[in-house]
Amino acid sequence: MEEQDKGASSGWQGPTGRRTDEWSECLTLIAANEDRAAFTRLFRHFAPLVKAFALSGSSLSATHADELVQEVMLKVWQKARAFDPEKAAASTWVYTIARNCRTDMFRRLQKFDTPLAADDFTPDQEPSEPFAMLQSRRSRDRIHELMGTLPPDQAQILAKVYMEGKSHAEAAAELDLPLGTVKSRVRLAIQKLQIQIDR
Amino acid sequence: MANFHPSVDLLTEYTAGILPLAQSACIAAHLNYCQQCQQQTARLQDLGAVMFDGLTPVPVGDSMLDSVLARLDEEPPLSYRRVDDLSLGRMPAVLQRLMRGDFSELVWKKVTSSLRISYLKTGDPSHEFAFYHIKAGGRIPEHTHRGSEMTLVLQGGFSDAAGSYHEGDFLYREASDTHAPTALQSEDCICLAVLDAPLRFTGWKYRWLNPFLRLQAG
Repeated sequence: MEEQDKGASSGWQGPTGRRTDEWSECLTLIAANEDRAAFTRLFRHFAPLVKAFALSGSSLSATHADELVQEVMLKVWQKARAFDPEKAAASTWVYTIARNCRTDMFRRLQKFDTPLAADDFTPDQEPSEPFAMLQSRRSRDRIHELMGTLPPDQAQILAKVYMEGKSHAEAAAELDLPLGTVKSRVRLAIQKLQIQIDR
Repeated sequence: MANFHPSVDLLTEYTAGILPLAQSACIAAHLNYCQQCQQQTARLQDLGAVMFDGLTPVPVGDSMLDSVLARLDEEPPLSYRRVDDLSLGRMPAVLQRLMRGDFSELVWKKVTSSLRISYLKTGDPSHEFAFYHIKAGGRIPEHTHRGSEMTLVLQGGFSDAAGSYHEGDFLYREASDTHAPTALQSEDCICLAVLDAPLRFTGWKYRWLNPFLRLQAG
């Protein structure tokens, strides 16, 4: 099983392939010996992406966006040992942390009094499907490739939902579209990106 | 293995982190029973990650790097136990966090002779998050909803006019669907229900209970 996995992943020529591996290495170094140089490299790459994520849709103020960047990068450091390079790509892992921190921040700003943090809703590790990492790489490559073929109205809604953190209803209100239209665009996009699993 | 699942719409909002807290907890609990939905959410998460990678970076000053580096000593990397596989079917972790004990330690409110309800506090100001305990063979009086209802079967099972549901099955109903779920004869049924408006009993015999079923959100 390990052999197959290795063989398959070395043949992978994804658009972000080398970078992804570099970031996995950084995380592994942090986990193994609290390597600050590795953390600095990771920070220089990811902090600007997290900041872009925080500011997209201007859902957070500049101050809160900076706060979020620090929070996310600290979490990356603290949680590095939970990262398993066999199961997730580094950037998916960082994205998940950023998303969870942002959800928590939204809830904090709305003064939710809850015993739950966004982390509680997602297991630290990705699902135990066989060859999870390989499948994830393939699907990421495919998504990356197909993203450019999406009609702009579908891509726009995905950006609203995933990057700006808007619900379907909020996206509908903002774009002055019926909720059903938003939902069907999301569904069509998911089909086109070939990430709808068969039931 | 679950046979009834959240729609891809719901899973999209769930993976984007924008579903209301109580609903999010219900979906997370369903994932515990369902490999298929775990895979679907993993793919949707890949989508989010690809979009994240494609964002135009916004410069972050070195002063922020310095201040984060200065805080690293106070926050050493945590140690984690490797969880190699999620043990499917176990009581979902997210529910355990809300319960602090098992079903018998909850406060149950008797509604009818075969229905007891226990309300949990999630902090979600617009959704009620409750366990329904229906006695084996017992029936929840026919009711309708003013809002949406998510249901997850945690133990046993129940049936209504549309089908029969077992452990791990997830149902989502929009406002105004009327149904009268009946627990399976073999054992008591425990479900998680997340509502954004209270139930409303439709039969004359139970209608008087409606005023008592105010939404217990929070």
